[in-house]
Amino acid sequence: MKRAWMRWLPAALVPVAFTAAALAGSYQAGAATSLPHKSPADVIAMMGHANVQALSGTLQQTSDLGLPSLPTTGPAATQGPASTLELLTGSHTARVYMDGPSKARFQVMDLLAERDLVRNGNDVWLYNSADNSAAHVTLPARQSAERTLPSAPATPGMTTPEALAQRFLAAVEPSTDVTVGDGTMVAGRTAYPLVIAPKSNGTLVESVTIAVDSATGLPLSVDVRARGQAASAFSLAFTEVNLSAPDVGLFAFTPPPGAAVEQKSLPAVPAQKAMPMVPGASGKALPVHPTITGSGWDAVMAFPAGAMPSQARTAPLLSQLTQAVPGGRALTTSLVTVLMLDDGRVFAGMVPLERLQAVAAAK
Amino acid sequence: MLPAEANPPVTIPRLTAPRPTSPWALLASELAVLFGRLRTWALLLALAAIPLLIAAAVKLSSHPVAPGRGPPFLDRITQNGLFVGVTAMVVSVPLFLPLTIGVVAGDTIAGEANLGTLRYLLAAPAGRVRLLLVKYAAAAAFCLAATLTVAAAGALAGVVLFPIGPATLLSGDTIDVGESVVRLLLIAAYVTVSLLGLSAVGLAISTFTDVPVGAMAATIVLSVASQVMDNLPQLDWLHPWLFSHYWLNFADLLRQPISWADFGNNAILQAGYILAGGAVAFGKFTGKDVLS
Repeated sequence: MKRAWMRWLPAALVPVAFTAAALAGSYQAGAATSLPHKSPADVIAMMGHANVQALSGTLQQTSDLGLPSLPTTGPAATQGPASTLELLTGSHTARVYMDGPSKARFQVMDLLAERDLVRNGNDVWLYNSADNSAAHVTLPARQSAERTLPSAPATPGMTTPEALAQRFLAAVEPSTDVTVGDGTMVAGRTAYPLVIAPKSNGTLVESVTIAVDSATGLPLSVDVRARGQAASAFSLAFTEVNLSAPDVGLFAFTPPPGAAVEQKSLPAVPAQKAMPMVPGASGKALPVHPTITGSGWDAVMAFPAGAMPSQARTAPLLSQLTQAVPGGRALTTSLVTVLMLDDGRVFAGMVPLERLQAVAAAK
Repeated sequence: MLPAEANPPVTIPRLTAPRPTSPWALLASELAVLFGRLRTWALLLALAAIPLLIAAAVKLSSHPVAPGRGPPFLDRITQNGLFVGVTAMVVSVPLFLPLTIGVVAGDTIAGEANLGTLRYLLAAPAGRVRLLLVKYAAAAAFCLAATLTVAAAGALAGVVLFPIGPATLLSGDTIDVGESVVRLLLIAAYVTVSLLGLSAVGLAISTFTDVPVGAMAATIVLSVASQVMDNLPQLDWLHPWLFSHYWLNFADLLRQPISWADFGNNAILQAGYILAGGAVAFGKFTGKDVLS
């Protein structure tokens, strides 16, 4: 019976071979590559010089924000406010196509469904295959020139990416360490990881890593890590990227027959609406002025009573996501905490709940 | 007869010559046996009934299907009848197709052992590997036949009952009829590949028993267990290794442009299961004590 064990050799070797292949694959993916050394200012300037006009690629997004998981299947998951929220939880794969500044297509690939955002010139289409609905927005003509940097008009022709990089580093220096790690591979391309780490211990954010393509300066991945959490809190990375122009037909979208088409008009202040979370950056645009306590990463934004519509406070989705705390409700994630007090005041920041409560009590 | 490895090569006198020994002739005869069986046709007929039921239900229903209700793509059927095949595929992939594959793959070796025909097939120890390969090839042929049955019955029912027009893809783009036929065939190919891993698992299980029903049930239970595990978020580290992980991702073939990434991932995963299942079947079957 000497040969008996020989018969089982393939059955034993196959799993070993798979494990080895899987380990080799993950080792290669995370392998450091040798790239000429660059300073943080060089890498930021590279991002500024990035002039990628056309690309097609696949993005992989994973979030581990510590939020309760929401239903990920069925029409309820991809409609209404839950749709946006759903994008923040769990993991998604999306494809992105770009050709010049005014042609873009973004496809979120759900299981047996897809959500599309197509921009062709001034036409923007949203399509959701789960309920076969489409929405059309016409952008005002001036939006076409939006790719210029916000600070560029102030000093036309004078601002180089190098100067901007220096200015940015000087501005963040008191609160933040900016370093460049060893070269990595992202989507088969060599990249410089730019690591942005808060100096303060009071914030929930441990580090933000942006991998910048060594050849083009295109950011290939963003990875946000939270304190005391092994998995990254949020990561968005290209798994595949191709810098040739995609097929023009991709940007010509006509709603399919039978789809419910909705014409949407653009809100009055579209540009400022998107970023209410960034302290200071768009504070002026908000209807109610938040007051900011502290600076840098552990700043706390305080909104006075009335900033939040009362019907939003009682939405079932909100009570599902928040927990009751003394004097109100709190939304705690691994990166951001929001404290909604019963008297209407709202506090938010990238800090633990205790700090928000301390700020609220001090006022 | 004693275990093969304990003996010097013995030539068993072929009292009856039920099946030929050349590999291709053996395969042809195996296919003839498989598709000559009433049971095989009953399985295929049951699969064909799924798209027919879906098409008839949508046709006879008095109110139109609301988008997002019922199985995916159900509301597309009324625009393009070919989508009956796609909807039927979504419905049959989780249970009905694995059920039929489990019956055929679980029966491969255990069925012959149960009928007492296995020893006639084993003229020499080397013949066992060949027999495994031929049995697996026949099970794979059934995978193809099963998915093509669903696709073809769906397409036929759709052509008869519904208009054939431009089809809406998941991305919102529309394609013409010719391309929708191509996509439907690609989906059938994808689902066939998806089921190859399960067939190999069924073949491996089938070598362990002489009771075909046991092997069939075990294969089907495994396919359900794999899908249940794929839905448990606590086991997400395991998900990419489950043979059912990419089963429903054939929808990637309905995007514009087609996303081939999961087609490749699925093929690699199924190849892994074929190798693993094949190795286990080889380990067991080459040493199996064939008494009947």
